[in-house]
Amino acid sequence: MRNSVLKALLAMAAAGLFAGPPTARAQDAANLPASGPAAATVPVQLPPEHSWRLGVALGYGSRTNPLIQSDDIPVLVDVDIAWFGKRWFFDNGDLGFTAIDNRFLTANLMARVNSDRAFFSKTNTKYVTFARAGGGETPPAFGGTGGPLTEPVPLKPPRRDYAIEAGVEVLFGGEWGNATLRGFHDVSDKHDGYEVSADYEYRWTRGRWSLSPTVGVTYKDSKLSDYYWGVHASEASNVLFEFHPDGGLGWQAGLHTNYYMTKNLRLALSANYERLQHDIAQSPLVEQEYVFGYFAGFGWQF
Amino acid sequence: MRLRIFTICCLLAALSTSAPAAEPPVRLIVKPLLCVLDKGATSCAMTFDVRWKSVLAAEYCLHDGAQPAPLRCWASARAGDLQQARQVGEEFNYWLTQPAGVQRLAEVKISVLRVDSADRRRERRTRHVWDVL
Repeated sequence: MRNSVLKALLAMAAAGLFAGPPTARAQDAANLPASGPAAATVPVQLPPEHSWRLGVALGYGSRTNPLIQSDDIPVLVDVDIAWFGKRWFFDNGDLGFTAIDNRFLTANLMARVNSDRAFFSKTNTKYVTFARAGGGETPPAFGGTGGPLTEPVPLKPPRRDYAIEAGVEVLFGGEWGNATLRGFHDVSDKHDGYEVSADYEYRWTRGRWSLSPTVGVTYKDSKLSDYYWGVHASEASNVLFEFHPDGGLGWQAGLHTNYYMTKNLRLALSANYERLQHDIAQSPLVEQEYVFGYFAGFGWQF
Repeated sequence: MRLRIFTICCLLAALSTSAPAAEPPVRLIVKPLLCVLDKGATSCAMTFDVRWKSVLAAEYCLHDGAQPAPLRCWASARAGDLQQARQVGEEFNYWLTQPAGVQRLAEVKISVLRVDSADRRRERRTRHVWDVL
């Protein structure tokens, strides 16, 4: 499965091989001759863009944490730091190299940090007398003598490490919206698994408003799911049962709105719902089968 | 205590008698100020509401960047207004002058913001924990 998916992504990327560098596409578009009614075919002359994209948003938001004994993740400041060169680029922690760019697609070789790890930074220890089973069940816990626990024992989600992942990302875009296909594999010897995702976004712009609904699906294999969301044999206890999730499909949907007040300042409203894959939701480490995030604030683009 | 009350009274008196913030001799107000362009769009269809007022009655002329001749001149006036419908594809200015001079007495910039990009990488949505925008 892993190899076939990555092969498919690479094959799609190879479809546009020998295409010019990223800047060539804009020039090509600008030089296209008009072949029909002028209003319908005149290409849009886009001004040159800065290599750097710097922005900051201040406001209030939160992202729920699906883990047991965990706190939601507050979002008060959102920083946007990106740099785009001819082929290399850095985009908020993602490092990329553009291998193919043509009128049909842009294919990037990518390196990134896995985002599942972020939830494990906001966990607490609690003392409990019940056990955590899969699917959110909490039956009474039993001690070594076979009787129910009378003295509370500590329960804390186990520690997990950040994983560095490498992969391929293929971007499609046009009047119909933007679509992204991604395939990533662990290269840091942490979970040795992979993740494949597909996302679609459409943006409406009317006057100063823009509205962007997004939808996406993500497949995480059993190794990745087990590393982050499983309870390993060494971590199992009287209150935390051993659990090994299988791979599966999750989905997400979001809505992002901007009201552009000036060329640099905008009001930003955003909400995102992510449904965890079924097996991950059954983990004793998981309390909520979803992640909901929202943010409202003012963004400044430098 | 008396000294504190005296100080506060002095401050209040100073505030109440101080001159108001100097008003600019000529004010030019234009709405709207921003055109937002997305995929496929080359221009915005906008109707501008241009208003000006001055502390001195004189002859004033309103210009824009599209043509050397003024859009309109007002003789011996302290205020004026104009509605103008136009297609906006790039930034330009409205400004006021007096017929004899070239000095711009007041100026307003109309901005154009492109929210799309020719580079697909700039449209990618990152999925980090801090990235909810």
